[in-house]
This record gives sequence, C-alpha cells and structure tokens, in this order.
Amino acid sequence: MAYPYLTVSEPIIEISNVDFAYGQRLVLKHISLTVDRGTTVGVIGPNGGGKTTLVNLLLGLLRPTRGSIRICGMSPNAAVRRGDVVGCLPQTPRTPRGFPINVRQLVRLGLVGKAGLLGKETSDDLQHVDWLLQKVGIEELADVPIGSLSGGELQRAHIARALAARPHILFLDEPTTGIDRAGQDQFIQFLADLKQSLALTVILVSHDLRTVAAVCDRLACLNVTLHYHDVPGNMPQELAREMFGVDLPELRMERSSR
Amino acid sequence: MIAQMAGIPADSSIWPELLRAGLASASVGVAGAVLSVFVVLRRWAYLGDGIAHAGFGGIGTAVLLTIAFPALNNGTAIFLIGAGFAIATALAVASISRRRAVSGDAAIGIFVAATLAWGFIAFGIHAHLGRGGPSSWELYLLGNASSVSNADAMLAVGFSAAVVLTVLALQKQIVLYCFDPVLAQVTGVPTGFVHYLLILLVAVVIIMGMQLSGNLLVPALLVLPGAAGLRVSRRLRIVMTVAVIASVVATLAGLAISRRWEFIAPGPAIVGVLFLEFLAAHFAAGRGGAEQD
Repeated sequence: MAYPYLTVSEPIIEISNVDFAYGQRLVLKHISLTVDRGTTVGVIGPNGGGKTTLVNLLLGLLRPTRGSIRICGMSPNAAVRRGDVVGCLPQTPRTPRGFPINVRQLVRLGLVGKAGLLGKETSDDLQHVDWLLQKVGIEELADVPIGSLSGGELQRAHIARALAARPHILFLDEPTTGIDRAGQDQFIQFLADLKQSLALTVILVSHDLRTVAAVCDRLACLNVTLHYHDVPGNMPQELAREMFGVDLPELRMERSSR
Repeated sequence: MIAQMAGIPADSSIWPELLRAGLASASVGVAGAVLSVFVVLRRWAYLGDGIAHAGFGGIGTAVLLTIAFPALNNGTAIFLIGAGFAIATALAVASISRRRAVSGDAAIGIFVAATLAWGFIAFGIHAHLGRGGPSSWELYLLGNASSVSNADAMLAVGFSAAVVLTVLALQKQIVLYCFDPVLAQVTGVPTGFVHYLLILLVAVVIIMGMQLSGNLLVPALLVLPGAAGLRVSRRLRIVMTVAVIASVVATLAGLAISRRWEFIAPGPAIVGVLFLEFLAAHFAAGRGGAEQD
C-alpha cells in the first residue's frame, strides 16, 4: 500500500481562509488546508513564499490576520501550551553549542511543557526518552555534552526532544539543510521508520524537493497563495517547473527507487 | 581564618557586625551566583547594570522627594524608593524586550543611560535648590557592608533563599527558556512568565547587593560567577556549584580584605577577587573548557 495513511480521514489540522500580513504586506492569502491524521505534508515553495510564516501560525507564534486555525480542535496556542500535541524541530543553527547540558538532558527538555510549571516528568515519560535515544541511534551519547556532537547527531537529539512528549504532530523546519546527500538519504529512511512506529502526522518544510518527494504523502506549494495540495505524483508538470525548475519524472524516479 | 587574615582577635566585640556583614554578603553571593549562570547563558550580562543604575536614578528621585516630604529623609525610605525605581525599570526593560520591539541589549542600554542621566539631574536640582549634594556619593556607588543591621542581614538571607528556591523549582523552564526562548514557547513553557520572573529575580539580587557593594559594582555578582563556572564545565550542576563557591569565597574574602585594609571598599575588593577567580578558571580550563559561541 503506497499511502496507507490516506485512508484515515479525521482532520488533525484545519486551516480555514487564513490571511496573514506583516504590516501592509500580505504574506499569506486565502489559505485553506486540511491535514488528516497520520499524513506527512511537505510544505514547499520559493523563498518569501510564506512557508515559515505558515508554520509560525500553526505553532501559535503568530496570529492570523483573518481566518482560523484548529489543531486537534484547539487554537494553536492552546495546543502548544498542552505540551503534548505538537513537537517541533527548529533549524539546527539556533542551538547554542556551549550550553551546559548533555544529550539526555536536552531530550528531556521536550517534556517540560507537558509536565507543567511545577510538575515532574512521569517515569513512563523518562523511559520513553531513553527509548527515543535508542530509536534515533544516539543512546551511547546520552551523557555527552551537546557541544561535542556532530551536526547530524545534534539533529537526532533534537528529533528525540521534539518527540519526547509523544506529540501527535511533528513540525520539521528545513531538516536537511547543510546535510550531505548520504545524510539526507539516511534522514529520509529514518523519518519513514519513525512515521511507521509512532503514527505521526508530520509537517515538513523544506527547500529540498528530493527529500520532500521521498517522504511526503501530500504537498502544499506555497507562494502567498496555496498552489497545490495533493499526492506528489499528481503535481502538474508546469507547476513543478515554474516553482523549482525541475521536471517531475525525476521526482517520480526518486520516489520509486526508495 | 578570615578573622585572622583581617587581624581581628577572636574575642572582639566586632564579631556580631562581621557575622551580619558576612552572612548578608554570602547569601547575596549565592543568589547572584545561581542567577548569573542563566544571565550569562541568556546573554543578559548588562541587565544587572541597567537595573543597578536605575537604583541611582531612584535615589535621585528619593532625594528630590525629601524636599516635598521631609519625613522621607532617612536611609530606609530612600533605599525603598531606589528599590522601587529599580524594579519598575526592570519591568520596563522586560516589557520592551519581550516582543522584540527593541532587542534586549538595546533595551538595557536605553535604560542605563536614561536612569543615570535622571539621577544626575535630580541631584543637580537638589543642589540648585540649596539642599546641597547627596550626603555621600560613595555610599551609593560603592556600598557599605559594615552598615548592615540585623534586619538587613535577615532580609538578605530570606530573599536569597527565595531567589534560589524559585530558580530550583523552575529550573527546567528556565534552562529551556535560556536555551532557546522560541523553542521553549512551542514546547508549552509560559515564556512570558519566565521572562518577567527572571528579570525580577535579577532586580531582587541587585537591590539586596546594592547596600553591600554599591550599585556600580553589584552587577558583577550576576555575571562573573556564572562566567567562571561556564568556563570550567559543560555540566550544569558543576557550573552552578563552581559559581556558588566562587561567589561565596569572593564575597567573604572581599569583606576580609576591606576590613584589613580600610582604604579598600568591600565592593571593589569582592569584584577584584571574582575577577581573579574568573582568570584562574579561564586559564585552568584552557582549550578544553566550555567555550561559548
């Protein structure tokens, strides 16, 4: 079965008629999008097309100028504040490398919101952290300060952190930027694995059309308006060429060669 | 040992005073050290200066107020007005840096300048009205650890304990907030609360420390111990421990030095020791240390 998740029809994210403007400049216009539970949606589009803005809206960091967003039936802010609905992988360069914590402590930071202001993590959640460390393949680095990790290892630690609270939705912001082709292939395999074992809904923002085509069930092409939202194989040839300057057969090959 | 270094006989009647000063300084040192780790990690090294200089503006305000309300012309009232002014400034810095309308360092820079200027203007007006200059510039700028009363010492211990307990209780939220504020927010941390709380805690330590080492130098307690600890280790627990030890040693040694050589004020002596400790940590860590980036 090529797209097993498409049969599940309960929408986990509902974006209705959203506009967003920075001052006078309209960045997103009439965006409506439903994401079903268990799908992996690739958000692609040119620089300045509004990808990051859309993610920031979904994470409650920005508020729509018009329209509404529901995540698991809640406002983005309410969903984020629960601490166990949304997991987020920021772009790696933001990580302060000299920060005095080790890998396990970094991953456990993913539980802080779920545990609450004065609450403690449950032993079940702490076990889940250890399981995740193993799952992402960095359990032997658990006690190493984060400053000693390579870029790829740090990214894995951040993925484990984002998954620590067992979120329903995982946001990945440019996860393959600055990673070589072999590393990208590893990442693609790893993400496919994770989706299977955790039944995650994934929102993947990327410039890297190869990764997007390889892992996503749906594509959302953003350039102020939403251009397309369907399975990648059905993307119109002209749109692909216009937005990325590539031909689609190339993408289909990448996908089938997996 | 400190008493011997300071040349004080064990049966001296000066002991209660020394004990008070030592207790107050050490507890402010502990609270400052715990916070300093996060101040350095959050890159707020100048926050303490901003708030401390606001204290100077606050004392200027207090001095002007004594013209209209002579009843306020006592040390406690002036100190409280200064403290209120510092807290108001801390909240103002917190507010305008919160939504990145102004960056944190610019917010601090703006208030350092504005509150210092206001302090000088207020003292100028006071002098112009024939009330003379402030009773002692040095007291405000450098502090006077020997003026610590029993009540002051108890307040210092109580507030320091409150600061340390608050930080320990919310340590994970504070760590995540200092690691990456946006990440903290999307993880479900109430970042607005943590932001204001941290700045308020810094203000509390500054106000407690002002009396001891003066508002010119008290910010050092909120930077140097953490900087030294972070130079030595990349493990938060060790960083904290080193910062606390460095700070307590420096405050007590600084007091002892100023006791032994009376021409040296305690504030500069404490900062001098802290600086030497930082240098020692820096060179001991060498290249293997936890460099900041």
